[in-house]
Amino acid sequence: MKKDHVFLLMVLPAFLLFFIFHTYPALQGIFYSFTNFRGYGDWNFVGFFNYINVFQDGRAMSAYVFTFQFAIVSTILVNIFSLLVAIGLNSKIKFRKTLRATYFLPFILSVLIVSYIFQFMFAHMLPQFGQAFGIDFLSRNILGDQNLAWLGIVTVAVWQSTAFNTLLYLAGLSTVDDQVYEAADIDGANSWAKFWRLTFPLIAPFFTINMVVAMKNFLMAFDQIIALTGGGPGRATESISLLIYRGGFEGGQFAYQSANAVLYFIIIVAISVIQLRILERREVK
Amino acid sequence: MVKKQAGVFTGAVGLSVLLAGCGGGTGTGDDGATIELFSNKSESIGTYERLIEQFESEHPEISVNLEAPPEAETVLRTRLTRGDMPDIMSIGGNATYGELAREGVFYDLSESGLTDEVQDSYVDMLSQLAGPEHDAPYGLPYATNANHVIYNKEKVEELGIEIPQDWGDFINALETAEDAGETPIYFTLQEAWTGMAIWNAVAGNIVDEDFAERKNAGEATFVEEYDEVADKMLELLEYGHSDNFGVGYGDGNTAFANGGSVFYIQGNWAIPEILESNPDIELGTFTLPSNDDAEENELVSGVDVVLTVSETTEHSEEALTFLEFMIEQEVAEQYIDEQSAFSAVEGVYQEDEVFDGIREYFEDDRLTSFPDHYYPAGMGVENLVQDFLINQNKQESLEEIDSEWDFNRNR
Repeated sequence: MKKDHVFLLMVLPAFLLFFIFHTYPALQGIFYSFTNFRGYGDWNFVGFFNYINVFQDGRAMSAYVFTFQFAIVSTILVNIFSLLVAIGLNSKIKFRKTLRATYFLPFILSVLIVSYIFQFMFAHMLPQFGQAFGIDFLSRNILGDQNLAWLGIVTVAVWQSTAFNTLLYLAGLSTVDDQVYEAADIDGANSWAKFWRLTFPLIAPFFTINMVVAMKNFLMAFDQIIALTGGGPGRATESISLLIYRGGFEGGQFAYQSANAVLYFIIIVAISVIQLRILERREVK
Repeated sequence: MVKKQAGVFTGAVGLSVLLAGCGGGTGTGDDGATIELFSNKSESIGTYERLIEQFESEHPEISVNLEAPPEAETVLRTRLTRGDMPDIMSIGGNATYGELAREGVFYDLSESGLTDEVQDSYVDMLSQLAGPEHDAPYGLPYATNANHVIYNKEKVEELGIEIPQDWGDFINALETAEDAGETPIYFTLQEAWTGMAIWNAVAGNIVDEDFAERKNAGEATFVEEYDEVADKMLELLEYGHSDNFGVGYGDGNTAFANGGSVFYIQGNWAIPEILESNPDIELGTFTLPSNDDAEENELVSGVDVVLTVSETTEHSEEALTFLEFMIEQEVAEQYIDEQSAFSAVEGVYQEDEVFDGIREYFEDDRLTSFPDHYYPAGMGVENLVQDFLINQNKQESLEEIDSEWDFNRNR
């Protein structure tokens, strides 16, 4: 009994902070999504009016399409790159620790700063490169092209978040016992077979968590887009988070975008659960 | 035992974090009032600081705190949500101002008599923003801006271009520049809002001023009334450089300052930045003559800074004292000199020779307002216009702008 008491006391501060700064505002948002609140002033209950309108909103739909396209491509790329980097950094190479630290650097840098640096590269360096080598689609700023701008955002997002996912994969790789590989060597397995038959199945739980975390982060992409394109050109790179922010805070659509946010929350939860279900099924138990 | 202490300790730390969040409010001094001046312009921080210093030395009993955060409009909206409005707000005369005025956030200035000291056309613009049911003067128009064509004097003289008075003249001037191997206009359309500088300049002289009102009443559409605007925008776009959508505002200013083009369609706010990149460049300005009839061409000008007092402030008297100080002739002159702006205060004119070409419009009151100031704030028209310029599909784009406007009322 006494022990419970202590643990409860330890949990309480965190719980209070979390509730006040996270749960309570979230509940407020859900509450306001059923009103016509503009962020200030008088308001009335409007029932599901906002929700019905979100489904008829072309701008919201195109934001959903863009966000999913971006998130899926980025998630796949991040997982490929971080797994490769992790395997490299896990092998017995020189300067292993220094290299590990170097590869983790992008994660320490602020997303905004990284994005502004990339923006400069896209605006000034890449076009010069493209012009010098006569590559047509690179000879102009790709962020100014509606069909290419999203690639710029993918580049920055992948470059930045590969660091964190590499870290998780490294943790996963360190759980694999060397004896397994020794046994495989005796059986005469080549490196390809060792990866697909041993390493990958053994770190499957880490693959699951990386897929879920990466997907969830990319679905909420905001900073990179603000710094690189501001949602443009046109509305080609307007993500849902950006739309919610723009409409809710700049456009006086607080209640409407709260409804959008609630819907989006449900979608993200659903996707994460589905991902977990499917990916966990193939994990080695 | 040790464990228990640790628990209590974590609890204490947690609580103190909570309490720290609650304290630290701004108190007022014993002998006077502290008022907060909220400004949405980072460019004017220096000017405001100097003016505040002067004000405080004249009125030692009042001290003024300047608050000029980035993304100021968003900050203001969130503060409104919390019911924590600054005493004085120095904001833009745009759709947000109208919205806040309708909401009853601002103090009614009609009894103060302050609005008698400023030009009527700007007072009218503000009350038009607030709408017919809220026509009391809720804001004091202070600094104004102009949307115009900036030109490189040296190049224009070299090419022998005369300042165009109507659309035909302007296109001829662009042709002359292009034939001479120059870039006629430097576009910076990577940043969507810069497209609005052109949109406003073109639409200001073509579309009737009551368009927004009629649009809201369902009596007008973009498809019908912006057809000519859209055509002329596309015509201008032919005189750009090779990467019109790949260059942003900052880079565009630098490029224009260093002879990147003959003309540059921007507001007066760009001029200090251009001069910063190249202090030696000689600049001139003229109104964009988008109408075929020279007589119809006016200068697009809006209220860049409107001073408002919070309805709920406890220091309305001190706030009004500050407003009175701001519209003193010397103070208003200092402000527009430092900011390269124009003044709404009667009898205060911008003397900088860069603005020689547009001064007469101010003196003759040939002014028209920014069309987009009357568009609903949340529709994000700049991205729609940018999209139109990229895809050049007039009918479809105008229809989309129409439907976004209509749909915006459901959001």
